[in-house]
Amino acid sequence: MAGLVPPGTTAIPAEASKTAHTKAEEKTDYMNLPCPIPFEELQREALMSLKPETFEGLRFDFTKGLNQKFSLSHSVFMGPTEIPSQSAETIKIPTAHYEFGANFIDPNLMLIGRVLTDGRVNARVKWDLTDNLSVKANAQLTNEPHMSHGMVNFDYKGKDYRSQFQMGNGALFGASYIQSVTPHLSLAGEVFWAGQHRKSGLGYAARYETDKMVAAGQVASTGMVALSYVQKVSEKVSLASDFMYNYMTKDVTASVGYDYILRQCRLRGKIDSNGCTTAYLEERLNMGLNFILSAEIDHSKKDYKFGFGLTVG
Amino acid sequence: MAAQPKRGGVSLPERRSAGKPESNILARISSSPIVSRGKQAACDAAFVSKKLLLSTGKAAWIAGTTFLILAVPLIIEMDREQQLNELELQQASLLGARPTASVSK
Repeated sequence: MAGLVPPGTTAIPAEASKTAHTKAEEKTDYMNLPCPIPFEELQREALMSLKPETFEGLRFDFTKGLNQKFSLSHSVFMGPTEIPSQSAETIKIPTAHYEFGANFIDPNLMLIGRVLTDGRVNARVKWDLTDNLSVKANAQLTNEPHMSHGMVNFDYKGKDYRSQFQMGNGALFGASYIQSVTPHLSLAGEVFWAGQHRKSGLGYAARYETDKMVAAGQVASTGMVALSYVQKVSEKVSLASDFMYNYMTKDVTASVGYDYILRQCRLRGKIDSNGCTTAYLEERLNMGLNFILSAEIDHSKKDYKFGFGLTVG
Repeated sequence: MAAQPKRGGVSLPERRSAGKPESNILARISSSPIVSRGKQAACDAAFVSKKLLLSTGKAAWIAGTTFLILAVPLIIEMDREQQLNELELQQASLLGARPTASVSK
């Protein structure tokens, strides 16, 4: 922009061309819209701020890199796990497991595998075939019958749109499409069909994003309406709020939270309309050493969960 | 508690202190509507204040624990950040002042 008018010319033509150029910038170039973010990451900012992975008990993660591309990870978890129960009481069973994992990360190919001592095996693959086409797959095998599942996604990235097709076990098929409509607004739609449960659904989503804020909304024919708004108050602080409404089951949840990203730590706190407050702190004790504290208090169910952990590497 | 007895009726008055004929006046006073209404009001007041105390206690508990979870780590971390900033400022001013000090020496 500075090089447009060579310095040394008279002031008046420079100003005129500058205003003409800014006017051209304000008039958006609809042929050159940015590529939108993937459909599953539509509400990513709100999810990252409002739904940290709280846990109960002790968590220890150790990642050791053997190579530029290859690393192993060891992870220990000990703590009560909730079992879904029909009654209002929450049933917690103490569990402990060790998880061993191997990761191979390449610019084009990413392979992640995990095996746990309670008999589960996870695998994730992300393969960028070309610049525009990428394949993702994930699978989970368990000891319990009928709990194993797998899914494959094919993503195609166009100039200002993205489309995705996914297939899962149990005859699950889905497709989604997201398009940039203006430099700030993108609209998306998705369809899915679940053969096993004989259900099909349609959904629409929109995302409006500027430098300072992101607003996203999603509606699905399964009855879910989800709206979220994240405001970046400063470099270190952002505030987020979320509203979820299910018009089939008439379930409403609203939550407000903050996300402080300071130099030594990251602190996320949230309060819910179900009477649940959570806080999640990741503190950097040293290079590569992170200390994690997680707290979740549910006043209405009187369920209190506190966890602490350490992440190395 | 028994309802106020009928005025001049045949029902028995309350047997507070049996065998005291002068307590007729006292019994009459204590069974008058003002006193019994006062008693009822005192009971209600005690009931309501107990409920109020319990609910205030509950609200204070919820507010206190929520503040503890949401605000206390934030205050601690912001304080640390401020200390770190001050330390860095001090270090920067020290480093800035050092070359001139050595030159002048």
